[in-house]
Amino acid sequence: MTVRVQKPSTFAQYVTLLRKDLQREFRTRDMLSSMAIYAFLVLVVYGAALSQTGSQFDILQMSGGMLWALIVFTSLLGLNRSFSYEKEDGCLEGILLVPLDRSVVFLAKATSNFLFLLAVEIVVLPLYYFFFLTTTTPQPTWPLMLIPMLVGTIGIAGIGTLLSTITTSTRGKDVLLAVLFIPLVFPLLYACVSATTVVVAGGDIEGIFRNSVLLAVGYDLVMVLLSWVLYDYAVSA
Amino acid sequence: MTETQTDKHPIGGLADTLAKPALLIGALLTALAFVLAFTVASPVVGAKVNGVELIGNEMIGNQILLSQKIFYFHMPVAVVSMVVLTGTAFFAIRFLMTRDALYDLKAKICTEIGLVFVICTMISGDLWTRFEWGVWWVWEPRLTTYLILTLMVIAYFILRTAVDEPERRATYASVFSLIMYVDVPISFFITRLIPSSVHPVIMRSDSGMSPDMLAPLMCSLFGFCLIAYGLYRFRARTELIALRVEAAKDTLDD
Repeated sequence: MTVRVQKPSTFAQYVTLLRKDLQREFRTRDMLSSMAIYAFLVLVVYGAALSQTGSQFDILQMSGGMLWALIVFTSLLGLNRSFSYEKEDGCLEGILLVPLDRSVVFLAKATSNFLFLLAVEIVVLPLYYFFFLTTTTPQPTWPLMLIPMLVGTIGIAGIGTLLSTITTSTRGKDVLLAVLFIPLVFPLLYACVSATTVVVAGGDIEGIFRNSVLLAVGYDLVMVLLSWVLYDYAVSA
Repeated sequence: MTETQTDKHPIGGLADTLAKPALLIGALLTALAFVLAFTVASPVVGAKVNGVELIGNEMIGNQILLSQKIFYFHMPVAVVSMVVLTGTAFFAIRFLMTRDALYDLKAKICTEIGLVFVICTMISGDLWTRFEWGVWWVWEPRLTTYLILTLMVIAYFILRTAVDEPERRATYASVFSLIMYVDVPISFFITRLIPSSVHPVIMRSDSGMSPDMLAPLMCSLFGFCLIAYGLYRFRARTELIALRVEAAKDTLDD
């Protein structure tokens, strides 16, 4: 009898790691539920914050910015958690013992963070419309806002995965993640807010939308590639 | 033990000998630039005001503002801060390649000097926006990217204090400083990429500066470069001597 031992392909490793994250999440619903509730609570806070603005106020012009503020804060919560349970039972050490390329770990983790964030956005977006925008008429181009949303979420998941790996083994990790994450993500946030606002509230779609999305895509490329390269150092330290 | 320690961290030598004169000449040059800026350099119509505007409770037309002199210090300090942060990125790459703690130390010192210059840039720049543009702050591309840089340099030190093990601290700091460095070229080139920005492009061949303006600017630029170098060497020397003392203590204990 011959025993055949085959090294699993990189893609198989990626799928296994991703499935592990998704399975864990479907069993506990730890991250998704806390992120969704937190996002909902931010909406409630917005309700109080905007309660005195009156009818003169053009909420459509501000809706892109408020939506992205919500996404950034919610993603901070999720990113903080995404690595804390890896540390709890020495799970990360186990993964690092497997002879696999560290960038696969990065890609799997970034993908799972991306999927969780996307799931929360899908829940929050209708709620956001329901609470604040039913009295307004968004421009017919509003479905285009899904493009900056997708690009922005990719960037947040990519750079956030690297930073949460770094901060998870530091003191005061929650605050530190915010301190490192928010300045870094600012250009992406800026681009996504301007792209979202222009398709929802109207304006120079040709110019502003295209440039902003290009800026966001460029940011994603640079940051995700850089995180990918540097991840080996960060996770092995 | 002590022997290798000494070889690994050379103290003294030409670079250290030059540090003191570099600091001195740098101080003299910047002092000279200060004098030149107020005596030789011709006054310039600083703010381009459309008609008459209210700036700092004064009606200002197309008036010659003394605050234009800030420029002779703001721009050199900003350039030097970017040069020093380039040093940080260089030493961070060297650290990740070699895992030699000396490179991490150098990267940290570079960032420390960088922080000093970044804060000087922010203060002088904010005075400029206040007196030349009539506002405390604008969310303008150059200002915004530089503000991000400032926040990240501060975050670099927060990250350092939050990690205890030296090896891990060095790695995390190097990784973060490389991500941080992405912002430096962006901040430098953004006034060229987005020409509509209020902040002028200074480094160009047709900058329209007369020799009497160029003289204090260059004095100040070289002066601040020398000061940065001198500060860097002195700081490195202090840290290396501290390391050597620690090593000597360890040897005595054994």
